[in-house]
Amino acid sequence: MFLLRWLSIPLLVLAATVGPVYWAFPEGLSPARSLGIVLGWAGCGLLLASLLLMLRETWLSRWLGGLERMYQWHHHVGMAAYVLLLAHPLELAADAWPASPTLAWQTLSPFSQGWPVRLGWLSLLLLMLGLAATFATRIPYRSWRWLHFSLGVGVLVGLWHLLQLGIEEPVLPILALAALFLGWRILREDSGLAARPYIVQSATPVADGMVEIALKPLAEPIAATAGQFVLVAFFAGPTFRGCGEFHPFTVSSMGAGREIRVGVKALGDCTRRIQGMEPGVLARVHGAFGTFLAERPAAPQLWLAGGIGITPFLALLRTGPVSQETTLVYLYRAEADAAFLQELRALAEQDPQLSLQALATGNQPPNIDSLLPATRELAGHECYLCGPPGMLAAVRQSLHERGIKPRHIHFENFGFR
Amino acid sequence: MRRLYLSTTVIFWLLVSAFWAGSLWLPPADESLAVAAEKVISRTELAKHALPDNCWMAIRGTVYDLSAYMPRHPSPPELVLPWCGKEATEAYDTKTKGRPHSAYADELLARYRIGILTASKP
Repeated sequence: MFLLRWLSIPLLVLAATVGPVYWAFPEGLSPARSLGIVLGWAGCGLLLASLLLMLRETWLSRWLGGLERMYQWHHHVGMAAYVLLLAHPLELAADAWPASPTLAWQTLSPFSQGWPVRLGWLSLLLLMLGLAATFATRIPYRSWRWLHFSLGVGVLVGLWHLLQLGIEEPVLPILALAALFLGWRILREDSGLAARPYIVQSATPVADGMVEIALKPLAEPIAATAGQFVLVAFFAGPTFRGCGEFHPFTVSSMGAGREIRVGVKALGDCTRRIQGMEPGVLARVHGAFGTFLAERPAAPQLWLAGGIGITPFLALLRTGPVSQETTLVYLYRAEADAAFLQELRALAEQDPQLSLQALATGNQPPNIDSLLPATRELAGHECYLCGPPGMLAAVRQSLHERGIKPRHIHFENFGFR
Repeated sequence: MRRLYLSTTVIFWLLVSAFWAGSLWLPPADESLAVAAEKVISRTELAKHALPDNCWMAIRGTVYDLSAYMPRHPSPPELVLPWCGKEATEAYDTKTKGRPHSAYADELLARYRIGILTASKP
């Protein structure tokens, strides 16, 4: 089952790439022109796979090994498609170059060609703009999302470019699928049709710039387990100005009455506003996603949390005592930033198998090597990491140096841009 | 990935600029590719070349041997092949959808010129 989940996305991407290339493989053309055409079709197939991988459905994420994995592949596959599609017109122009440099430029130029080529150019420019926005992490999330959306428009314009060339047979099914995936994402996920209605019961500050929000279901609740995250859109309340858009938050508790709690750290415009949350605010919750703490083997465990990364571990500890020897290393800047620290200390005192090491690291990056147990103490351990990307990279490096194999290191970044 | 995006985008624009510069500064194509430039071809002769691998078309009074180009034509064969062996000016000027071919197509077409169509019907 693990192998199937691990292979699911690579196989899907392979099929999406090879399928259109096989279907429309050119015959009787020069090698350069054939290569140019194959690059275009391969890029087209990769874009389609990338669109599928942006869908946020719990059943789909289970098949494909988790939403975070889907998003990583979505980024890589989209980037690969972009590179192939940049090479596509250049290769076609290169094919004409030996005959005449003028002909080569006219193959490429949007000014000397008709609408099919102009649409190809428009598609490339939209992809270029959308990807530029993807990498511009400093712009506000809402603007970022709109600019990122231009990638979807770029895909549709690219397929229109093919239709204008008179190629309908493989294009129409691809266009139908692309439109389905984009419409699915916009209607079911961005506009919240797939989400369930909840109401905010309480909002409790747990650290500087961090609040824990309790949500009660107003209809059929979502099914969440410890280590998972949900996508939540908060709407306007009496004084709270809603965000409307969906943001990922890790579940910190699953109550008996199916209410859930989520930890929210002030990281952007919306999450800063959520710090002033009030009871009675309506929300929509979509999920739950993630497999971070699922299927844990019965081996001794090292949990390492940085800042808000403590939330999935807390959710698990709140369900009851751990079933194996567990060391929880909790890193935070200062005591004021240490969310849930008192509760964690109380849980560790009651649980003989749980050992808590809570450490304030200050504003400088901590020396991870000195914080981790020695190599012989880590033998046979499963390691679970949750925290900022920089910290995760340093911890993984240190664990590798201690001889821990990658299959024993589990982590999620909880990053969605 | 940001580095890959930046490097590929910069290389793309550099190559596009190189193609543009090449078209301005390098010598134009050898026009001698159009063979037997002024051979007069009758409509009967034209009609004998109506197969995919032996495809002549008359466009604006000029006859072109498009046999070698047919596999490269971007439109589906069923749209183009029916015009082999025929006077195809109307189809060329409208692409059967009311849209003319591009300047690029005009330039490409010139490379396949083999003669002129006789003025009167046989």
